Amino acid sequence: MAEPYLVVEHLTKVYERGHVVALKDVSFEVRKGEFLVIIGLSGSGKSTLLRCINRLIEPTKGRIFIDGVEITKLSPRQMRKFRRRIGMIFQHFNLIKRATVMTNVLTGRLGYNPTWKTLLGIFPRSDRELALRNLERVGLLEKAYVRADELSGGQQQRVGIARALMQEPELLLADEPVSALDPATSHSVMQYIEQMNQEDGVTVLASLHFLSLARRYGTRIIALKDGELVFDGAPEEIDDRKFKEIYGEEAEEVEIR
Amino acid sequence: MATRGDRAAVDRSRWDRALDFLYFGSKALGKRLSLALLDVGAVAVLWILTSYVVIRVSTGEIGYTLLPWWLVALGAVEAAALWESFGRSFGHRVARLELRRADGGDPALRQKLVHWLLWHVGVIPVLPLLLAPPPHERASGLTLRPFTMEGRIPRPWWRTSTGLYMAYLALVSIVAAVSGTITWEDLVRLFTNAGATAKFWRSFLSPDTSIILRTVQALIVTVFMAMTATAFAVLVAVPLSFLAARNLMRGLIGRAIYTVIRGTMSIIRSIEPVVWAIFFLVWVRVELAPFAGVLALFVHSVSDLTKLYAERLESIDPGLIEAITATGANRLQVLRYAVIPQIVNPYISFTLYRWDINIRMATVVGVVGGGGIGQALFFYLKGNLWTQAGTVMLFIIALVWAIDYLSARLRAKLA
Repeated sequence: MAEPYLVVEHLTKVYERGHVVALKDVSFEVRKGEFLVIIGLSGSGKSTLLRCINRLIEPTKGRIFIDGVEITKLSPRQMRKFRRRIGMIFQHFNLIKRATVMTNVLTGRLGYNPTWKTLLGIFPRSDRELALRNLERVGLLEKAYVRADELSGGQQQRVGIARALMQEPELLLADEPVSALDPATSHSVMQYIEQMNQEDGVTVLASLHFLSLARRYGTRIIALKDGELVFDGAPEEIDDRKFKEIYGEEAEEVEIR
Repeated sequence: MATRGDRAAVDRSRWDRALDFLYFGSKALGKRLSLALLDVGAVAVLWILTSYVVIRVSTGEIGYTLLPWWLVALGAVEAAALWESFGRSFGHRVARLELRRADGGDPALRQKLVHWLLWHVGVIPVLPLLLAPPPHERASGLTLRPFTMEGRIPRPWWRTSTGLYMAYLALVSIVAAVSGTITWEDLVRLFTNAGATAKFWRSFLSPDTSIILRTVQALIVTVFMAMTATAFAVLVAVPLSFLAARNLMRGLIGRAIYTVIRGTMSIIRSIEPVVWAIFFLVWVRVELAPFAGVLALFVHSVSDLTKLYAERLESIDPGLIEAITATGANRLQVLRYAVIPQIVNPYISFTLYRWDINIRMATVVGVVGGGGIGQALFFYLKGNLWTQAGTVMLFIIALVWAIDYLSARLRAKLA
């Protein structure tokens, strides 16, 4: 097998305020092209883990390698450059509400363009064409010049995906991408992410609430509990006992179709 | 466990125990002394207010006590002793304490009596409070404990001493306030002397047309004053607001800058623009000119806008900053695409609102010599030129109404 694409070694995150330990000595590897799903209860450290990988949050201890580069050693400037290769989508979409869909999608190219031009809102023609192609891909071409806050939740998340696509990423971090959406819309959004994974070969790390979604889309699952890695394996390996271990004794599995 | 405890007691020197005693003693001193001071103070305030009302209503004079001061002091202390011994006093309420028997039961009458009698020797000379427990509590067998509602039926406020105290305090304060500010003669004049202002009101129907041109000119000066002050205030307040936003100013130096700016701004804001106008009139020595007024409005607007802008910055959604940062954008790009889109409309809205306030303030500032229509109004009022004053008022009303309407409409569009 090839070299692992992403390596997380002994990752620990302690929040100064309140001395909360969000991640405790978490280690795992991801190969290129995998669709890794992270499950766990709210507050188990899923979001922190994802944000450590593109260093939106600085890890307290441990090392992270992406494609052989130790990103935990990069200077802020180098890290900014590296982030272009890592797309990210969020639970609450995090779009510029008052701006058009087009502007939102173009922000995915900020790292590739000179600062002064982007400050004036100037993007090259090729970027604009790419933006339209990506919007067409997520089925929102006719919404290109509509304000982002006029779209439905599912549509907004698809704009988020288009923004990530603009970066032409190798890795996609998806932080609870469908938690704010209804079940039917969830699947449509998940399918766009799956498409990115299968057609563009983007490695995906997604945190998900529902085990049924994790089983349906993940090629591998890891589980966090109170900041510790408690499971790492294939989706089928999670049986009733494992499930209770991850989610606690009182938990019942809920299906989402 | 028991043996360890015993050994510890033996091991500890006499000095240690003496220090312990003093430590607990000083803690008890602080607690009980503040209780006593609260209760004595509460009674004294009530007495002073009551006396004030009685003296004011009966003689029309201003006085604060009906009795000699030493007698009042003695009475307040005695009342506090009674209150703390026989009921749940104001101080007990504030400190959330209550007087209970050692076994947690309700105090018996005999215990209350002992507590009251020994209160005088325990609390008034202060020093006995250093004993833990102090003499009045030791002898009565009562102790102060954290108050709990457990196993009790709540009593309505009018059946508690503190409730009655607060009700009486509120009543007597209002009566004192009314009697201190309004006299009978004032009231009589209010209802019989309305005719004196007739000229003023009449001018609303038939304005003095000869001064219209001059008034409109003064009106324009007022609007210009407000615009100048607001425009320059925005230039200063926008950069300042970033330094005054808690979420952007992290770290020790950042927090220090934040504190200094916010502190200075709130001090500046607490001084009325009229006072600033007088201040600047003295400073720049321009009499009967709008410059001092503009400066006054400018200073006040900077502090107000900085606060409003900074609060808006503090409530921006951090998610968008994360999202834009995650694309590989640098700080300037994050500012342009994540921060500014969230603040630009509120900023414009606050600016309009402040401009609207400044027009009204410019009128007031003018009265002290800051120029514009306010100064014209003051000039006519001072010369008893009621008709002209009424005409000017008419224009002020029209202006304020129009600007109010305009800025409200614009702000609604921005929302």
